[in-house]
Amino acid sequence: MFDLVISDVHMPDMDGFKLLELVGLEMDLPVIMLSVNGETKTVLKGITHGACDYLLKPVRIEELRNVWQHVVRRKFSNRETNNNLDFCKEYSKNPTTDSYHGLSQVTSGSSDQGNRASKKRKEPHSEEEDEGDDNDAHDNDEPSGSKKPRVVWSVELHRKFVAAVNHLGIDKAVPKRILDLMNVEKLTRENVASHLQKYRLYLRRLSVVASQQASIAAAFGGRDPFLHMGAFEGIHNYQPFASSAGIPSFNPHGLLSGVGAAAFGLEDLAPSKAIQCASSNGAVSHCMGDTNKFHIANLQEKNQANLAQGLTAPLVQPQLQQKWIPQETSDLSSFFSGSALANTMSGTLQRVTSSSFPPVELLECTQIKVGAHSSIRIPSASSGLLERSVGLSPNLQDSSISQQCAIPIDDGFSVNKLPLHIPFVDVSTTKLDASFVVPEQDMDQKGKFPERVTVLPYESLIAADRSKCGTRSSGSTMLLLSDTGRHSKYLKFGVASNSRHGMDEMVNGSFNYNGGASVPEQNDVYDFGISKLQGGFNSSSCSFDGLLNSIIKVENDDVPFADNDLGCELFPLGACI
Amino acid sequence: MEAKMQLNTLMANMFATGLLDDQFRQLQILHEGSSPDFITEIITLFCMEGEGIINDLAKLLNKPFVDFNKVDTLLYRLQGSSATVGAQRVKDTCIQFHKFCQDNTRYGCLDTLDVVRNDFYDLRSKFQIMVQLEQQVWTFYRKH
Repeated sequence: MFDLVISDVHMPDMDGFKLLELVGLEMDLPVIMLSVNGETKTVLKGITHGACDYLLKPVRIEELRNVWQHVVRRKFSNRETNNNLDFCKEYSKNPTTDSYHGLSQVTSGSSDQGNRASKKRKEPHSEEEDEGDDNDAHDNDEPSGSKKPRVVWSVELHRKFVAAVNHLGIDKAVPKRILDLMNVEKLTRENVASHLQKYRLYLRRLSVVASQQASIAAAFGGRDPFLHMGAFEGIHNYQPFASSAGIPSFNPHGLLSGVGAAAFGLEDLAPSKAIQCASSNGAVSHCMGDTNKFHIANLQEKNQANLAQGLTAPLVQPQLQQKWIPQETSDLSSFFSGSALANTMSGTLQRVTSSSFPPVELLECTQIKVGAHSSIRIPSASSGLLERSVGLSPNLQDSSISQQCAIPIDDGFSVNKLPLHIPFVDVSTTKLDASFVVPEQDMDQKGKFPERVTVLPYESLIAADRSKCGTRSSGSTMLLLSDTGRHSKYLKFGVASNSRHGMDEMVNGSFNYNGGASVPEQNDVYDFGISKLQGGFNSSSCSFDGLLNSIIKVENDDVPFADNDLGCELFPLGACI
Repeated sequence: MEAKMQLNTLMANMFATGLLDDQFRQLQILHEGSSPDFITEIITLFCMEGEGIINDLAKLLNKPFVDFNKVDTLLYRLQGSSATVGAQRVKDTCIQFHKFCQDNTRYGCLDTLDVVRNDFYDLRSKFQIMVQLEQQVWTFYRKH
């Protein structure tokens, strides 16, 4: 692997600064910029984007001889939390490592010796190669990053992360500063860097989704939020969450709006938005939109017929871009869709279920989504819940889904029923009318969801989109629901949030944990209860935990999250909160 | 040998007229520790890339609406290449070119583009001779 990147600034295919960001975040490598342009503002731009150094052309060979310092320095600081002493010893005891002889020298700033030492070895190789070799040799015992304990991005952690990023500004947020602001022990710059990268991808996806949603929303005009959903749902493809848009307020205090939104840079995500969304017809959309975007982004990335895509698409809410909140409304699933989980699927499902769209629409939506992931099942549960919540989505009531779902949520909507198995295909359309409770057997098909969440509406949704059923058991997203206890809570949560999104969104990691609207801020998601739906959509706390757990669980299970996920999997719903 | 002498004369001339600067000497030093074709490769790359850039510049400047940002970026590339190779005159002309670019004056840019083109072609032809001479020298030394 590489240890250092030296990149030009003005390149035909890509801006050097952009590459700097991407490489720096994705690969966490020191990047040195190179240009003939030595204007102060340009050099400053390089520094702010995270460059380790900025060389001017023509580059002198002596300058190149010093670049190994950047590699060592970075490795050294990355190892701060792990065995610093060992690291030093490692370097100092190796007699052949001339260049590292001076680890102390480096730190003390005397690079000459290091240069001389490294010079010898550098003759046959380029400096970078030598550094790489040396680093490899040294890294055998302590490979940078590869043996580090995996960091679980809990809701709380993610919230801090998002807060830090927002504080710095998404453009200026560099891992080091974020790390400083977060002030979390045992968190390394690398962890933050990779997390930031995912977050950025997520944001980009959101913006894509948002723009799409905006167009769709524009088409639909000011409909009732729930109608929105319906409208979206009407759009078969990926409407699902759009409808949830109606549920806007899912924004659990901050789940989406706060953490999620913030995290993802949704500008206007205000925690309260979710709640507002609920009340405002138009508001919804943005939630949805975002999630949709998210999903869409995710979905698109995934080639699977992600329902989520469907969901995301419909959401088209004009404001989506800013709101992560939409996720709240639309779908956790959409959220989740983003996340590795079923990314698309889950998102969609969730959306579908969570949204209070008219049943039919929901179905449509879900169909789209459902197909994608089994994980989406959960959404159905949530949709059921949503319906129960009634308060939120009047439409739900009417929707067949709601009717069907009406049940369970409070009754114990057996979360377990959630049909996890991916291919929703299995779900027959006929199920739509059936109770949403998905037979348990469905759940285990994919094996990912240990528990089934009976998401009634979900099933119907699933049925709708048979084709979309991917085989992915995005179980991970569903994981949230996997816990029985959790499920119920979650369901409640989802429902409460009147938007399917609750679930989905949470899952998607888009932090949009819309979580049942009514979810009180408490961390105990489970207690949302549907009744709360009408209340604020705090949901965030409610389902977050559950979601969080699920997410964490998922992660632990090594669910293959798609890369396109914003890394939702990393951010449990709780993070949204 | 004659080729070597010609080569030396050529190089001295190029330095004297300001076509090349100290950076080229740095390259020559590097060359000693590298493959024998080092200088030849660099020069060839520079010539090819430079021509491409100049053509692109001409295209951009001849559009009804000139995108000066793109022109700027291209210029930086040309300037960078020139600086790395040690093509002093081309590099200096690029710097002037930048000023016109920042002022968004198309005619100024077009004029400077001509100057750059001339300088570049001049340098290129001399580089081509240099490469040929180098090859002759190399072949000579190989044989003997």
